[in-house]
Amino acid sequence: MAISESSLKAKQLEASVVLGMEQFHRKSHFWGRLTISIVLVLTISLPLYLSFVLGFHPGWQPIMAGFAAYAAMVGYAWVMEPISYYPTLGVSGTYQAFLTGNISNMCLPSAAAAQNAIGAVPGTKKGEVTAALAIGAASLMNMSILMVIILAGSHLISIIPASIQEVFPYIVPAIFGGILAQFAVKKPVYGAVALAVGLTVNLMPIVAFLKGVVCILMTVAICIWVEKRKHSGAAI
Amino acid sequence: MEGAMQLANNPVLWIFSLLIIGVVVFQGITFIRLASRASESVGMSHSEVKTAIKVGTINAIGPSLGIMIVAVSLITLLGDPLTLMRIGIIGSAATESMGATIAASAFGTELGASDFGRHAFVTVVWVLCLGGSGWLLFTVLFTKSLGRMEKKVSDKSRRRGFSVMTIVSTAAMLAVFANFASGEVLKGYNTALAVAISAMTMVIVSFTASRKKHLSWLNEWSLGLSILAALSVSYYTL
Repeated sequence: MAISESSLKAKQLEASVVLGMEQFHRKSHFWGRLTISIVLVLTISLPLYLSFVLGFHPGWQPIMAGFAAYAAMVGYAWVMEPISYYPTLGVSGTYQAFLTGNISNMCLPSAAAAQNAIGAVPGTKKGEVTAALAIGAASLMNMSILMVIILAGSHLISIIPASIQEVFPYIVPAIFGGILAQFAVKKPVYGAVALAVGLTVNLMPIVAFLKGVVCILMTVAICIWVEKRKHSGAAI
Repeated sequence: MEGAMQLANNPVLWIFSLLIIGVVVFQGITFIRLASRASESVGMSHSEVKTAIKVGTINAIGPSLGIMIVAVSLITLLGDPLTLMRIGIIGSAATESMGATIAASAFGTELGASDFGRHAFVTVVWVLCLGGSGWLLFTVLFTKSLGRMEKKVSDKSRRRGFSVMTIVSTAAMLAVFANFASGEVLKGYNTALAVAISAMTMVIVSFTASRKKHLSWLNEWSLGLSILAALSVSYYTL
């Protein structure tokens, strides 16, 4: 109910005012920071409530031990992921993707597919607005499916035959291959560079958490070099 | 285990969980609204806005189904509300199950073990909630600085005559997926096959869609079709 009401209101508002890109960014910062801050407060209040109101505090020692192990595994990603996905997600996409999660397997592919469908170039204003729309829609769809899973839960899984469930782990590799090809078709040179860099980096003994960054830096550097050569060649 | 499951389904957990999901939904609606208001100023037509929303929706179905199995296994270990809240916000099903396993072992037990009690459950909640906050905190604090950096780069490139930002964005996107795809290709025969079939299908669909004007709607379904093709081949070769 709440969703349909607010989307109705959204439609009325949408017709009334047109936003410039500058204003769009300002409003994105405001609403992005506000919503994420609220979620931050909520996520920290929950364990505080369980520990000190209900009185099931396990002691700080296991919490810190667990947190340290978790941070050692994914802590780099807290900083690296927002930075390395920023060029593709833009301001509004970053706020959305890092709240709703599933960035590499859902948000980025949805944004890329939408940009491809309407011919918007990533990194441009049109590309950013397209990404914002697609990620917002993907996030809402994801929430709806998640709610169904939680409500219908294990029953739902029991209807799907085991032989079909076995191929579910291949959804993610298929997404990666598909998106890579989608961009490579448009920019074959970039695609070839990226794939060569990707395979090399993955074959080399590089620490897992550095692979992504090394890949991005090398691919971007080579592609800029290629463009610069093309550009200066044309000028001469 | 029973005590932990009782606590895991405590109404207060449901309230927190639904509030968080509510904020995510509110954010999604807010940004769609903002973006469609901004669409005109970047030269997007009304039908392009609709297409973007439609494609976003379609392409969330595949990944959401992929999340399903991990989500269901988490439910049996952590209960409904915590699963909903953790998968609903940052943190994929995979990261969360890894975090829960780490937290349980830090408490000296295992997920689903008979001695996994209320205190162990609260340890898991602490670790997952603190762990997920890292991304949220960074995003709240530094997205603005990233925006300023981008502006500087694009201002500079305007003088140079070609848009560095466009190259960086496209190359970065390709690099991200080339890295992931390479990882999957090198992981084993089955995942390599899924990557290859999906990529081939995408190339075929993209070419078909660009060849004929009346087939351009295929672009909206290209990723879905590629995933389906890869899964069908995996189904018969497994």
